[in-house]
Amino acid sequence: MANASFYQSAGFDFSNDVRNQFLQDKGLPLPKATSTGTTIVGCLFKDGIVLGADTRATEGDIVADKNCEKIHYITDNIRCCGAGTAADTEFTTALISSNMELHALSTGRKPRVVTAMTMLKQMLFRYQGHIGAALVLGGVDSTGAHLFTIHPHGSTDKLPYVTMGSGSLAAMAVFESEWRPNMEKNDALRLVTAAISAGIFNDLGSGSNVDACVITATHTEMLRNFVKPNERAVKERNYKFRRGTTAWKMENIRSLVVDETVTLIAPPVGGDAMDTT
Amino acid sequence: MPGEMAHHPQQRQFNPYSENGGTILAIAGRDFAVIAGDTRQTEGYSIQTRYAPKVFTLTDKAVLAVNGFAADGNMFVKKVKQRLEWYRHAHAKDMPLRAIARLIQTMLYAQRFFPYYVYNILGGIEDDGTGAVYSFDPVGSYEREACRAAGAASSLVQPFLDNQIYFKNQKAAPGSAHPTHLPLSTVIALVTDSFTSATERHIEVGDGLEMYIVLASGSSGQGLEGVKGLRELSTKGEAERVFVIRRDLKKD
Amino acid sequence: MFLTRSEYDRGVNTFSPEGRLFQVEYAIEAIKLGSTTVGVRTPHGVVLGVEKRVQSPLLESSSIEKIMEIDTHLGCAMSGLTADARTMIDHARVTAQNHTFTYDEPIKVESATQAVCDLALRFGESVHDEDAMMSRPFGVALLIAGIDEVGPQLFHTDPSGTFTRYDAKAIGSGSEAAQSELQDKWHKQMTLVEAQILTLRILKQVMEEKLDQHNVQLAQVTKEKGFEILDEKSLKEVIEQM
Repeated sequence: MANASFYQSAGFDFSNDVRNQFLQDKGLPLPKATSTGTTIVGCLFKDGIVLGADTRATEGDIVADKNCEKIHYITDNIRCCGAGTAADTEFTTALISSNMELHALSTGRKPRVVTAMTMLKQMLFRYQGHIGAALVLGGVDSTGAHLFTIHPHGSTDKLPYVTMGSGSLAAMAVFESEWRPNMEKNDALRLVTAAISAGIFNDLGSGSNVDACVITATHTEMLRNFVKPNERAVKERNYKFRRGTTAWKMENIRSLVVDETVTLIAPPVGGDAMDTT
Repeated sequence: MPGEMAHHPQQRQFNPYSENGGTILAIAGRDFAVIAGDTRQTEGYSIQTRYAPKVFTLTDKAVLAVNGFAADGNMFVKKVKQRLEWYRHAHAKDMPLRAIARLIQTMLYAQRFFPYYVYNILGGIEDDGTGAVYSFDPVGSYEREACRAAGAASSLVQPFLDNQIYFKNQKAAPGSAHPTHLPLSTVIALVTDSFTSATERHIEVGDGLEMYIVLASGSSGQGLEGVKGLRELSTKGEAERVFVIRRDLKKD
Repeated sequence: MFLTRSEYDRGVNTFSPEGRLFQVEYAIEAIKLGSTTVGVRTPHGVVLGVEKRVQSPLLESSSIEKIMEIDTHLGCAMSGLTADARTMIDHARVTAQNHTFTYDEPIKVESATQAVCDLALRFGESVHDEDAMMSRPFGVALLIAGIDEVGPQLFHTDPSGTFTRYDAKAIGSGSEAAQSELQDKWHKQMTLVEAQILTLRILKQVMEEKLDQHNVQLAQVTKEKGFEILDEKSLKEVIEQM
């Protein structure tokens, strides 16, 4: 009983749910979660998969992060793009990444994309859509190249080219008009860049830079900030403030150095003193 | 009973308003006024157009910026212009700036219970030759000010202007005072920086910037020389002069 | 004379074959029966003067109101059927207030005059089956004096809805003599006091009774004080200077 209050079960803690529901009913809005408005895409090419993502994170209509990373590491040969609630995509992919590593260790095999896909959909389904993660999962394993989309409720699709997020329509428009089977790597990379750019420029939820990732049977190439079409404009003025600009009400300087006098006490004769002879 | 459905009361609603993003701002100087707005028009996460002007010249010395629901804004500007024309015919002169300000109040308040969903900022030159800015709420409450930002990114821009124009939270250097009026070159730079910054951090702001500059009669226009994208709208010889500066903003 | 005009002087909206509106012309005649009213413009302001016909020793002369304020910067003197002027001045006052409400500035003298003249032409007008608001033309002429950004101005309106700007103008029964006197004596650089004295002298010439502070009224519009009717004391002072 003494330590009962320190017990914590694994997984989510719902202990504040009743309180929060009560506060919400009273009219207190829930804090807004950072969402990655987002354009994320993936497409198959001759030798593997190309994934792409923009780098804007928003809080409502405010840009929270101008250069965030939305292509998450799952294993060396599998990556996952996340759209939706930033925390959910980051946490879910990190969790599945851990579990995939454990799985690889216990099976002694290179992990497969379907395994990651299954683990993700089972987790998302268990949470009935409350984990707001919309994912594009891609990789190359012993069975070949695979590309999936996973929706927040746990449904999945396996397709040769996919898009997700608020910019998905803009990006899909590009794929639908230009994707061809068995493309060369550079053509596929150019296509993914075009699809993400369509999202960046036509969807307000997406913006800033293009991240890309090329996965083949032998190699995974993460192309962080592959294209930077939105460099920050140079400011016309200098906004450095003169020293003394900020007013203050009082000044109080305290010395943190403590002076102390040490009085040496004569050691007892004999006693416990160490024999230093 | 099979086949029979329970009839529940149903309510349907038509929402006549929408919000089309963008931001406007105006700053008054001693003998000039600068009125600016971005040119992006949005609905939800989509861009309806990258060039929809929100700033309009009304007379030789009055410029109106309108932000909020674009359809209402356009109609409102149209009606204000019509009233200015009528006034010219009835009274054989252009309407003075403060009269336009009052007219806008009465026009907005006339729609008190079905308002124009717009924030207006009027800038220009007063009859006494001073630069002036008037800002309005959607139902007509108005005030003459030195500067004002409105629209989607107003919560980002207004504090910046408070700090840089009114010198809020800034102590003047010992033995000196903050200037009451800023020179034109400084104002243009502040407006430009306001919009490039708002573009960085607000998703509904971007694409293009239109900055109107109204110079009082006899104003030197110092600070305009060498400004890129500058064009004079007034035909030379008029007392007040109007210029516009157009430049690109980021398009993401 | 009346025989030739019969048939065409009945309806207010009927032109005679020669293209005349007799009712309007009769209305203009009515003004010639009214008391003499004079207006004089100077660079400093406008002076209005009226004769008050005190027909009985029992009449309270202060109750005769022939000069009225339209707005702080606008005044008006009348001659003819003065009761008709009430409607016109009411309209002018509402128009002036409306203008200030809408535009936060005083209405121009010409605009106020125009508003009055718009009303003068609305006799006989009716909205489909409703009765007409006014059955006949106004039987009154006005001298509207005021100051705006253009400067001091004096306007004359008549029942036909026409208005004209004058440097000096006389209307009413003694207007012919008064107008020729104004033509003689008025000059560009008059002071306000000179204008007051000129106004009174002219009224004195055309009045049957002996002029005093009870049977005339003076008003002026100046940049500094706007419209004001001179009180008995200041009126007496001007009469003494005459």
